[in-house]
Amino acid sequence: MFHWLEKHPFFFAVGVFAAIAFAGLVEIVPNFAQQSRPVIGTTPYSTLELAGRQVYIKNSCNACHSQLIRPFKSETDRYGHYSLSGEYAYDRPFLWGSKRTGPDLHRVGNYRTTDWHENHMKDPAAIVPGSIMPKYTWLYKNVTDIDTAFAEQLTDAQFFAVPYNKPVPMKDGSTKIVKLGKSVAEANAMALAEAKIVAKDMKDQDIKDAIASGKIPEIVALIAYLNSLK
Amino acid sequence: MENRPLEYDYTVAKMFMLTTIALGIVGMLIGVILAFELAFPGINTILGSGLAEFTNFSRLRPLHTDSVIFGFTVSGIFATWYYVGQRVLKVSMAESSLLMFLGKLQFWLYVITVAAVVVSLLAGETTSKEYAEFEWPIDIAIVVVWVLFGVNMFGLIGLRREKSLYISVWYYIATFLGIAMLYLFNNMEVPTWLATSAAGETHIGDWFHSVSMYAGTNDALVQWWYGHNAVAFGFTVPIVAMIYYFLPKESGQAIYSYKLSLLSFWGLMFVYLWAGGHHLLYSTVPDWVQTMGSIFSVVLILPSWGSAINMLLTMKGEWQQVAASPLIKFMVLGSTFYMFSTLEGPIQAIKSVNAIAHFTDWIVGHVHDGVLGWVGFMIMAALYHMAPRVFKREIYSKSLMASQFWIQTLGVVLYFTSMWIAGITQGMMWRAHDEFGNLAYSFIDTVTVLHPYYAIRGVGGLLYLTGFLMFAYNIYKTMTAGKRLDSEPANASPMGA
Amino acid sequence: MFSVEFQAYGYFAVTVFMTVALYAYIYHLYKNRKDADGHDYEEYSNMALHDGIEDTPVNSLPKDDKK
Repeated sequence: MFHWLEKHPFFFAVGVFAAIAFAGLVEIVPNFAQQSRPVIGTTPYSTLELAGRQVYIKNSCNACHSQLIRPFKSETDRYGHYSLSGEYAYDRPFLWGSKRTGPDLHRVGNYRTTDWHENHMKDPAAIVPGSIMPKYTWLYKNVTDIDTAFAEQLTDAQFFAVPYNKPVPMKDGSTKIVKLGKSVAEANAMALAEAKIVAKDMKDQDIKDAIASGKIPEIVALIAYLNSLK
Repeated sequence: MENRPLEYDYTVAKMFMLTTIALGIVGMLIGVILAFELAFPGINTILGSGLAEFTNFSRLRPLHTDSVIFGFTVSGIFATWYYVGQRVLKVSMAESSLLMFLGKLQFWLYVITVAAVVVSLLAGETTSKEYAEFEWPIDIAIVVVWVLFGVNMFGLIGLRREKSLYISVWYYIATFLGIAMLYLFNNMEVPTWLATSAAGETHIGDWFHSVSMYAGTNDALVQWWYGHNAVAFGFTVPIVAMIYYFLPKESGQAIYSYKLSLLSFWGLMFVYLWAGGHHLLYSTVPDWVQTMGSIFSVVLILPSWGSAINMLLTMKGEWQQVAASPLIKFMVLGSTFYMFSTLEGPIQAIKSVNAIAHFTDWIVGHVHDGVLGWVGFMIMAALYHMAPRVFKREIYSKSLMASQFWIQTLGVVLYFTSMWIAGITQGMMWRAHDEFGNLAYSFIDTVTVLHPYYAIRGVGGLLYLTGFLMFAYNIYKTMTAGKRLDSEPANASPMGA
Repeated sequence: MFSVEFQAYGYFAVTVFMTVALYAYIYHLYKNRKDADGHDYEEYSNMALHDGIEDTPVNSLPKDDKK
């Protein structure tokens, strides 16, 4: 039976392909329809938050930090409610990570402040003695790429029907609208307005000066993103 | 020209041998740097704080995994295919100028792609999906390289003199098909270049940026279907292809049981793909996928051990060869590590074990006993075996090879033992509660306790890298200063003192 | 409701079929020394050892006639 295939490379290749494709078909396809609905209270990312998410990815924060709280007492004690599938509905890509060299960040917005992040990212060991996290000093100098974040939002809206400019139900019964800029200029202006709110809680004078001159340092976008993780 | 006897042509094999060694050094060197960065964080700014962005752990980590997987291992797969493929099909690359051209084209495109990967990952251009970090332009280049590989493979098979495909060829075909399927589906993404704003602007921001076709849990499901099986079709299947050829050839012993190899092959093909769910235990993917992942991971022991036992039984009655030849030592220890890590993997996939092991260094240890002990040893053994035939010279030094073997073995042992202890320690500390039901340790307690193990791991990695540099030197000296051979050695590779 | 029941029977049938097929195949391989072409299975193992370009293939393809 199988031995015959060895003399017939074409049918051999077909056989191998059938054997390996089968599992994927059974495991992956049925879930696609069901899994992508957001839970109530999950909103699309704002331009600045998404730009911050890109900074998170650019620096591979996910190499050391997970965003997945497993349903164990020890994890919910430490990080908060266990993660739900619908909370990730707008995560492209997912950022669960595979290794916790540092703690989980899925709900870091609940228990860390802008001020804490600002000091921590500059010199982690000064805030958490014994920390092996490197200093992320360049985040305070590099300027955030808002244009690419805006392009990503547009892609989300146009190709994946992410509900920008549409009312999204919240937990308290109200609705919330996450606005999408009409043009690159408007998107940048919206991001800057949001960045000003974040920077109000920051102490670094260079950051304040940069924001005043219309530039958003990467750290501000990153903190906006981390604060949105709740 | 007309009367010259037909010979196998190893031009393309030689080219890929070179990248195997070069990218192996790069990948392992970065690995050692990363290991020491975790033990001594000051190393993150080793080139000064101005360049810290490019030397810090998180930026280098994808470069380490990708240069070992897509650099060292994939080059090794190509190099051995262009050697083994010709021989077991009994057809020379010299017989087809088209295949020869495509082979060389594949090599140069591969080199260009590797350069693009290095630049983009250092710049932080990544999609964040593990072992699929490349943005779409590089994905397209990789697909082209892979298609060229496939055309060459099936082209050579089409020209063959031997009707039956040898066991190794089955595994190479599976490698080609498996990686092609996985890579394509996992990297489905929409370039942001295509989006239009309400004001009619297009081509906004970076042209190479893209958005994953899948969101959240679905993305995770596809990613770990890929991530797990990229290990299957990158680190298991092609390496089994190598050992099925190189161990019998080097030892002069035909494979112990052809029938067993038939059963293990189809068993592996059918079972492996189901096991990806074990990366997502206790996550938000459906329960039945998780259970399926656990069960099939355990079933997977059978076909894996089928191949490994076949290898060890091939040496039946010939164990003096293991003592006599460092080259055979590499292969026998390699298949032992294969058995070891294919037992360890299923243990980690059991749900209750995974609850402790997941997210810890035990997983890192598991990957490395597989890759250092099995993949690395087997590829180096393959290249050692090929060198005298390809360069028509004796291997430069046997004693150097023997000391390399022991140094690297010690390195691997230090690596996985330290990571076992580190992983289980951390996993247990995370979940420990005191008598009042409060968490017993803060997170940082579970980090500082790992320091000695991280240091030991760094030393283990350094030993392995040292061994690899000895290997590179030995091959270099073989090319340039080995004693010339008049005829091709039949089995055992000739070695100088 | 019907489909769930059908799934359960289908699952059982497929499991039984695959188990029987697997063991039947193992038994078949164990019993037969030679394949349909009359070659001892284990002859194929020699492909790795006799891999010179001048060595005789286990199963020749009539390639040289074509060229």
